[in-house]
Amino acid sequence: MDKQLDLLQGTLDMLILKAVSLGPLHGYGILLRIQQISKDRLEIQQGSLYPALYRLEHQGWITSEWGESENKRKAKYYRLAAGKRKLQTEAEKWNRMADVIAGILQSTPEEV
Amino acid sequence: MRIWSRIRSWMRAVARRSRMEREMDAELRFHIEAFAEDLVRSGVPRGEAQRRARIEFGSFERAKEECRKAHGANFIDSLVQDLRFGLRMLRKSPGFTVVAVLTLALGIGANTAIFSLLNAVVLRLLPVPDPQQLVQFTYTGIGDWNSYFDYPQLERLRMQAGMLSGIFGGVGVNQVNVVWRGSAGLAQCDAYTDNFFSVLGVAPQQGRLFAPGDDHEGADIVVLSDRYWRSRFAADPAIVGQTILIDQLPFTVVGITPPKFSIYVGGARDLWVPLHALDRLTPDPNRWQAPFTSWLLIAGRLRPGVSLEQAQAELDMIHRRLLAQQLLEVEQPGQRMRQFVSASHLVLHPAANGMFSGLRHTYALPLELLMGVASIMLLISCVNVANLMLARASYRRPEIALRMALGSGRTRVIRQLLTESLLVAGAGGVLGLAIAWWGGAVLVRMISTGDSPVPLDVRPDWPVFGFTAAVSLAGGILFGLVPAIRGTRVDPGSALKQGAHGITGPSRFLDRVLVAVQVTLSLVLVTGAGMFLRTLKNLQGVDVGYERDNILMFSVDAKLAGYPKERAAALYRTILDKAAVLPGIQSASVSIVRPVDDQYYLVDIIGQVDGRTLPEAERVKVAWNAMSPGYFPTVGTPILMGRDFDLRDSRAASGVVIVNESLAHRVLPGQNPIGHRLDGAEIIGVVKDSLYGGAREQPRPVLYRSLFQGQGGTDPGEWVGMGAVSFELRYRSGAGLVDEVREAVASVDRNVPIFHVKTLRAQTEDSFLREHLLATISGFFGGLALLLACLGLYGLMAYAVARRTAEVGIRMALGARRRGIIWLIVRETMWLVLAGAAAGIPLTVWLSRYAKALLFGIGSADPAVFATSVATLIGVAVLAGFLPAKRAMKVDPMVALRYE
Repeated sequence: MDKQLDLLQGTLDMLILKAVSLGPLHGYGILLRIQQISKDRLEIQQGSLYPALYRLEHQGWITSEWGESENKRKAKYYRLAAGKRKLQTEAEKWNRMADVIAGILQSTPEEV
Repeated sequence: MRIWSRIRSWMRAVARRSRMEREMDAELRFHIEAFAEDLVRSGVPRGEAQRRARIEFGSFERAKEECRKAHGANFIDSLVQDLRFGLRMLRKSPGFTVVAVLTLALGIGANTAIFSLLNAVVLRLLPVPDPQQLVQFTYTGIGDWNSYFDYPQLERLRMQAGMLSGIFGGVGVNQVNVVWRGSAGLAQCDAYTDNFFSVLGVAPQQGRLFAPGDDHEGADIVVLSDRYWRSRFAADPAIVGQTILIDQLPFTVVGITPPKFSIYVGGARDLWVPLHALDRLTPDPNRWQAPFTSWLLIAGRLRPGVSLEQAQAELDMIHRRLLAQQLLEVEQPGQRMRQFVSASHLVLHPAANGMFSGLRHTYALPLELLMGVASIMLLISCVNVANLMLARASYRRPEIALRMALGSGRTRVIRQLLTESLLVAGAGGVLGLAIAWWGGAVLVRMISTGDSPVPLDVRPDWPVFGFTAAVSLAGGILFGLVPAIRGTRVDPGSALKQGAHGITGPSRFLDRVLVAVQVTLSLVLVTGAGMFLRTLKNLQGVDVGYERDNILMFSVDAKLAGYPKERAAALYRTILDKAAVLPGIQSASVSIVRPVDDQYYLVDIIGQVDGRTLPEAERVKVAWNAMSPGYFPTVGTPILMGRDFDLRDSRAASGVVIVNESLAHRVLPGQNPIGHRLDGAEIIGVVKDSLYGGAREQPRPVLYRSLFQGQGGTDPGEWVGMGAVSFELRYRSGAGLVDEVREAVASVDRNVPIFHVKTLRAQTEDSFLREHLLATISGFFGGLALLLACLGLYGLMAYAVARRTAEVGIRMALGARRRGIIWLIVRETMWLVLAGAAAGIPLTVWLSRYAKALLFGIGSADPAVFATSVATLIGVAVLAGFLPAKRAMKVDPMVALRYE
């Protein structure tokens, strides 16, 4: 159970970095963006989004500032700071992992 | 950059907390509202949309809490929060807080007080640079050891030892009379070689200390201690360079030591003179050459990098070589001397915390023991508070459940509960320090016998503060952790439902165990107290062979007033004659050693009986004393045969002696000893055995000589000039007697000081000081432990009765009798006490081994003491169980049944 959470947490960080790399967004916007990119195939615990944002900001990968939302309300916008490199390495790691897993899953009895 | 951003966000988090909180709130709220808006747009009714947005978001507070944590602000933040909350909770239940803090303060205070004394007596390092390099020299003999050397040893060791950077030697001159501007006063003086201060590394506060070349015959300089300089000379720096009289001899003050300088624990010195000043103060021509004498303490400083063992090996070689050489120079050495020379080895002892000290020797073990007692006491306090906390935790279950239901993590709640415990412990520690401050002074007074308190500095210093802090912290965690862990093991749902009743909780097994543990530990303390009380009683009950009441004693030393040896006896005779005719005096006497003396004793060896020289193995080692006629009737020791000394004896050429029963039995078994001769002196009387050195001794052979015998012409004042003498006065009424005595002595010579003024009863009590200390403190702790055990049992039982109200109601409704109900409750207490005692007895037996050396007239596993302790505990348990039981008895079945 714990392992799964760890994996999910790392994944969430990466997804957030990806989302904000496409332009500044507020928290709710990030949620929508991820759902949109993933074509609603990914469910994110809304409550866990913000701790992740705060952590990434604390670590310096993203920064935030207050701005005005589409419907003229004050909202906090996040943008990528040092996170470009982090996103790259995270993405590479993820792809490698996915390849490995896919390779394992596609293997046939003859190959073993 | 990343580190920087972390620090920045952390600083922002700490510094602008409220703004952050506001922003976080706004951000999360925005999220939920935006989400709700979207739902409304997709056709959900507004109310429903808001509800769904909230549910989908999950716990708002938890998200905030995790955001805080993610931001790193959490630790300090939550600490401040916890402290505030903890204080609020403690304020809300002042009863609990006061009891818990007081209980802990007593435990911590007791520990700190005893630790501060232990620190002052045993642990504290000398206030000199690199004290761990200091070593004190001792040598072994035939089955014993000694720390007093002869002078040739010191000279040889100083000359030849290469592993030490310096070796110094010295000796106490003891009490001296210091006259300054015509007024006299007693002071403690030491004589040391001139490298004493330089080896120790002490720098003067005023003037100079000893310098090379100061230590010569006719040396006439003196160094004052800071304390003496302040008390006697009002810290006047002009005293340096002035001349003062020590025992009527002029000495020039050259300097003042820094404050706190001392090399003994509990034996502060006032003055230091160079070693060879002894030639002026107490002339003895043999002193510097005589081998095989013991009068000189030696200590030194190891060179950096040299181990104690290396130095010891080198010094031992020097020591043994000199002994062998000294043996050759002795004409006809005895068998024992040969044995000694071949057996003796030099042994070094670390002296980082000072030279051998009688005070430390006497009190190290008792203090360590009391430290153990105090730790048990603290443990009991902690268990007691843990019990209170447990009870509190069950009252607080609904609150804790609510907090956890709102999203607090369990560790977070535990931390909060622990913070509360530590707050209690901290308050207990501060209060405990205050108790210790006061208690330390009380303890010092308790171990002081002399005319002024033992010079011990027990004011809390850093080690003591550190100790208290560590003890408080450990205590706080000890009593806080278990209740916190158990208190948070709640299922929010059920706990909240039960909440209305307040007092329901998990099984009370842990509480029972804690109370049983308390009983166990109390038994240890109560039994220990019992053993020490018995020891004291036994000692007080010993027949020492003196009648203790109505005897006043005081000491006089003619030397202090500048009398030469020859005139001392006459002075003492005059004082005795004056004292004997004071109103209310029945009889008076003077002796060298006073009854139950704590200063010194004299030994001699009898080698000849009736002209027959005894073989070495049959020689009798005796304690001896010399006194005036009238000593035995005055101190109440019956003369069994023969007669007392008589002033006519002084004209007898050969001398007369009195022996005690033990000596008579030893040298002349089965004979009438009167008229026989010991070493040429005629036995004129036999007295009943008395315990020469106090109640702890077995009767031993004692030889009594006539103090004034020498004046007939044999050897005037041979024993008289040795040091102080003690006068004993048997009185009918003691009112105003001390003043009359002072006047009488002053009328003989105004310059003669009297000291050690004490009744024989007080002197005897003082010889039980250590036992008194142990009995008082362990008794105090034993009582306290009983009280806490009683409280613990009462609390548990009161709770149990409250919990079982319904059951009691049913039982009574079904016809149970009141006695049965009382028994129901009392039985439970009994079980706890018996379980606790069952564990406590073997534990006490095991622990009492450590106390064995301090007991008298009682074994370390005395059945009577154990039985009494267990009975006391059962009594306390009945008391503690009875009140709740009575309450249970009064339960009205109808009310009880409606209760739940």
